[in-house]
Amino acid sequence: MAHDELPFSGDGVSMQLLHELAQVLELGVLTVDRSLVVTGCNRWLTAVLESQHREIVGCPLLEVFPELRGGPAEQALRAALSGSTTVWSHRFHRYFLPLPARPAVAEGRFDRMQQSARIMPLVRDGAIDGAIVLVQDVTERAAREEQLRDALSRAEVASQAKSDFLASMSHELRTPLSAIIGFMDLLESEMVGPVEPLQKEYLGRVKSAARHLVHIIEEILTFSRVEAGKEPLQPEAVDGAALTRGVAELFEPQAATKRLTLRVAAPETAMLFTDPTKLRQILINVVGNAMKFTEAGAVSVSVQQHGERIMFGVTDTGPGMTAADLERIFDPFTQLDQSLTRAKGGTGLGLPVSRKLAHLLGGDLLVNSVPGEGTTFTLWLPTVIGAEAVLPPHGQSVPSALS
Amino acid sequence: MTGRPIDHDALTELFNIGLHRAAASLSELTGQRIVVDLPRLWICPIEETHSRLRELIEGELATVHQIFMGNMSGDAVLVLEYENASRLAALLTDGELAAGGRLDQSAREVLAEVGNVILSSCLSAFGDMLHVSVSFAVPRIHVESLEGLLRSIKVQSDELHYTLLAATRFRLTEGEVGGYLMIAIGLASLELISDALESGPS
Repeated sequence: MAHDELPFSGDGVSMQLLHELAQVLELGVLTVDRSLVVTGCNRWLTAVLESQHREIVGCPLLEVFPELRGGPAEQALRAALSGSTTVWSHRFHRYFLPLPARPAVAEGRFDRMQQSARIMPLVRDGAIDGAIVLVQDVTERAAREEQLRDALSRAEVASQAKSDFLASMSHELRTPLSAIIGFMDLLESEMVGPVEPLQKEYLGRVKSAARHLVHIIEEILTFSRVEAGKEPLQPEAVDGAALTRGVAELFEPQAATKRLTLRVAAPETAMLFTDPTKLRQILINVVGNAMKFTEAGAVSVSVQQHGERIMFGVTDTGPGMTAADLERIFDPFTQLDQSLTRAKGGTGLGLPVSRKLAHLLGGDLLVNSVPGEGTTFTLWLPTVIGAEAVLPPHGQSVPSALS
Repeated sequence: MTGRPIDHDALTELFNIGLHRAAASLSELTGQRIVVDLPRLWICPIEETHSRLRELIEGELATVHQIFMGNMSGDAVLVLEYENASRLAALLTDGELAAGGRLDQSAREVLAEVGNVILSSCLSAFGDMLHVSVSFAVPRIHVESLEGLLRSIKVQSDELHYTLLAATRFRLTEGEVGGYLMIAIGLASLELISDALESGPS
């Protein structure tokens, strides 16, 4: 039988039509008889066969491709001879016929053409006369999928490695620092001997630097925990107004030193059900940020209830930020002006951590700023954590009490 | 229904044999241990199938149809809610497919093969019991509504009067997914099954 003869079932007209179709199809069509001897092979398949296999018609298929013997491919062919149709997806099997991959589409990922296939009975005169195999080349799709998986896996590994590194390094640094601070306390207490006034002053400086370092490490730890999704929530009933006043009080000494006005506009109570530790951390970060960058004028803190949401506002009269700066302000490890970083200290993690914590609490942290005039941070939280917060669009205006 | 009641327990056992074979094939295929349970089985006239399924499933469906022919003929369908189909494809491929929730071409191929394995195994169990060979057409995967699914069965043949409807549960290491097997058959096929079940295993 010639290469391109395909013994399909049906009458003369449909046979002729199927035969013509098989020759123009962009997929492989192979037929075998009941002894699995190849009886037909269409043009497409002939073209992709390795040269030594071009004369495949008339040869036992399992001798041409010995690796099919005894495996699922032979099972599928035998199942077809007893009337079953088998679907062969490339994800589970890679290929049905061991054919070479076209290098242009395999991108060095596969030696063999990746295939999906259908293996079906071939019926002639009402009886199963053999099997027909349809083979589709899916190498290009498989290569694309592998590429995507690789990229995803690399990104996940890199992100996990970064989080792990930050967490372990921070922990390793915190442990000796605790010892340093502890021994400083011991020296300062003069329990191990007298300390001269100048020595005492130097001890104080070392302790202050060590505490600052601990604070930075805590920020890094929180950031890596939040990013790794390992920061647990402990919600309880909280008076947002009292909590805000408490945070503002922490900054009163700093405001007095810098001769800044610190205003608080809060109702008597503003009850919400949330994690108070995380809310306090966000407010301390944001108010601390405002205090740090404001050299003259005022820092104003407010709380307002808006239906099912509560808005916390922090406005300063600091240097403000440009639109380009605003885009980067929540990127981790970013401080807008590196000279300011040196002058003001900090990790650049305070605001990214705060925004991540706001998301964790079901809300969001937004910012508005005008260069030369000042900045307003607005924290929106649902009154009950878990209740869906409807957030305002970016550019939410400053509460009137503060303007 | 038919002239006499069908032996429900024997039919359940028959489905269990088919699903057990299917689970073995799927385990071999995927390299992970897969169990397919049959929590419930109904035999209902085709016109009641819609209301029955309406109680059980909702939304868009992913279905794998496999027409079968021989002494027993009809349409066998694996019916999965779209989201469950996507989850099943992800579970079977260690999360590599359908992770984004949509059934892309590769995920559809995987589901077609899974449907093929399950439907062929169950139909072969029926064929073995009836001592007849059942041949199958190429399975087709569709995304359709429940109404579309039942319409397509009616369009194929007015001779399909009954459905054997089986709730199935695929249990894998990383999770489980529920689905349904629906075998739509004519009166003659149902009577053939009923007779064979009555005479017991030979």
